Amino acid sequence: MIHARDVTKEYLDGDGTRVRVLDSMSLDVEAGDFVAVVGPSGSGKSTLLHLLGGLDVDYRGEVKVGGVTLGGLKDKDLARFRNTHVGFVFQSFHLIPNLSALENVLLPSYFGPRTADAVKRAEALLERVGLGAKKDRAPVRLSGGERQRVAIARALYGGPRLLLCDEPTGNLDANTGDGVIQLFRELHREGLTVLAVTHEERMSVAARRVLRLKEGKLVEERATERSVLGGAP
Amino acid sequence: MRLDALSRLVRLSLARERRGAFFSAFGVAMGVGTLVFFIGLGLGVGQVIREKIFPNDARMVDVVPAAVSLGSLLGGGKLDAEAVERLRSLPGVEAAHRKMNVRVPAVTRYDGAFFGTKLRMGMEVLAMGVEPSLVKGDTQMGEFKDPGEGQPIPVLVSTRLLELYNKTFAPARKLPQLSANMIVGFGFPVEFNRSYVSANSATGPSRSVQTQVVGASDRAMFAGITIPLETAMRINREAGVDADTFTGVTLVATDPSKVPALVDAVKAMGLEIDDQERRMAENTGAAVALTTSALALLSILICILAAVNIAHALSASVRARAKEIGVMQAVGASRSDIRAIVLAESAVVGLAGGAIGTGVALLASLGVNRFAAGYLPNFPFKPDSFFSFPWPVVLGGVVLGLLAALAGAYFPSRRAAATDPARTLAG
Repeated sequence: MIHARDVTKEYLDGDGTRVRVLDSMSLDVEAGDFVAVVGPSGSGKSTLLHLLGGLDVDYRGEVKVGGVTLGGLKDKDLARFRNTHVGFVFQSFHLIPNLSALENVLLPSYFGPRTADAVKRAEALLERVGLGAKKDRAPVRLSGGERQRVAIARALYGGPRLLLCDEPTGNLDANTGDGVIQLFRELHREGLTVLAVTHEERMSVAARRVLRLKEGKLVEERATERSVLGGAP
Repeated sequence: MRLDALSRLVRLSLARERRGAFFSAFGVAMGVGTLVFFIGLGLGVGQVIREKIFPNDARMVDVVPAAVSLGSLLGGGKLDAEAVERLRSLPGVEAAHRKMNVRVPAVTRYDGAFFGTKLRMGMEVLAMGVEPSLVKGDTQMGEFKDPGEGQPIPVLVSTRLLELYNKTFAPARKLPQLSANMIVGFGFPVEFNRSYVSANSATGPSRSVQTQVVGASDRAMFAGITIPLETAMRINREAGVDADTFTGVTLVATDPSKVPALVDAVKAMGLEIDDQERRMAENTGAAVALTTSALALLSILICILAAVNIAHALSASVRARAKEIGVMQAVGASRSDIRAIVLAESAVVGLAGGAIGTGVALLASLGVNRFAAGYLPNFPFKPDSFFSFPWPVVLGGVVLGLLAALAGAYFPSRRAAATDPARTLAG
């Protein structure tokens, strides 16, 4: 599913110093896997996620996701890739405040091809995450956990094979966070590839593989047999 | 990006930013409204000048003999039959209409009923003979031709003279208002070869004839009466004055573009062009155009300010919505999609502002016309409407609103499209 080779990413910090956040990093993730990337703040976890999701293409090396080589793709092709191949879940949910839960889930449909059953599909996804009854509510009238579930439903709208999660339980209390993690487990069991960057123990416990990002490189920290987690083969 | 999706996103965005959108549209409406209003006023007043005060046909050239001409000493520069034939044969001439003034003095003395009142009046009269073809279509009674000895002479009066009579002469003297239709058939006596001003100007015994108004014409002599050319020639001949050379010839060009060359050819013949009225029309028109342009410039400045206002408002909005834009990019929006959303939001604001501004300008013009009709004195050539709004002006107003808004949105839309989702969505 993910194949990254010798990826190097640098940026200039506030005082003009060049910082190398990923240094010849390589990563392979099989389809249907559940991977947690851990590491301290500022270690480049989010940057890695953005590279894999086609939000940032300013890097050296090769990144291939779902058979698509991201480097050199035109903006329109990258946008199509993000619309159909990956789903993002963010720590701060990033729901659009003046749209209802249903409209937030429908957001990807505005940038993809016209489909007759878009609303039905969005409603089904909200049902799937347990929010069918609250589809017309604005985000402000939803709890943190509910907002994150709406964000997950939105990430799933395009039928992606890869879910990229950036500290998905970072803004949630323990109980709510556990509920969201349980949802990721279920999605993983259904065959979705999940890659989450996190610094939370409970999230990494849920994952089959745990990788640590250290000095710009990924180090395998733990790998569990798939059968233990019940993931798709 | 699909149009229905774009429309949906724009609607949602504008619904959220109603206040900002209202003020942006208000600015556009102000600029467009004042521009449309002043252009409509300029066009309306210009139309009155062209069509009522100084009616001019762009194809017509009035030729007169030179006031001083060496050619006249040598037999050139005068408008006799031969000169008229030469004028008629010039390239680009469709028709040549001869004119001849009655070259003896004339007076009228009227003492009788005048449209429901009694009128007693005596005044000098100028008379000019024209070919019937020049005033074809203006005659409402009988034929405009020499009736022969002892018959009433058909007379055309100037529509502008009628306007001056109605607006200044008649009210001061409590005389009735007259329309062109009303005066048709009205008869009054004219005594040729007689003058109240100078007895010496008469060349023989005076002759009294009856005249009858057969219509009103833009091409009739302004301060006098217009009679058939043959009648004028006959009166001159009978009075023993020049009945062979013409006072003027009106040439009709096949096309307005032929007029400059025609003017040059006429001047080369030692003749002159009587373009006094045309020049007055042009000068007055230019003054109106200048005033309109100054006011239009002011309006365009308002439009520019509206565009700047939109640019500021959108820039702030784009900054505030950076995360939202990042989310859209994350779920599949391309840079061109983002640009299209911002431009479309602004286009809706501009179209609304343009349409409202144009509508308000049209309403304001109705208000001004009603005010003018009710409160302004009834001066000569006062029009029913001071405005003219041809469809390109109305459409142009709406389009200008759109363009101003799009111009204002240009840089903010580029900034929005350049949003780095990785940066805005981090954390």
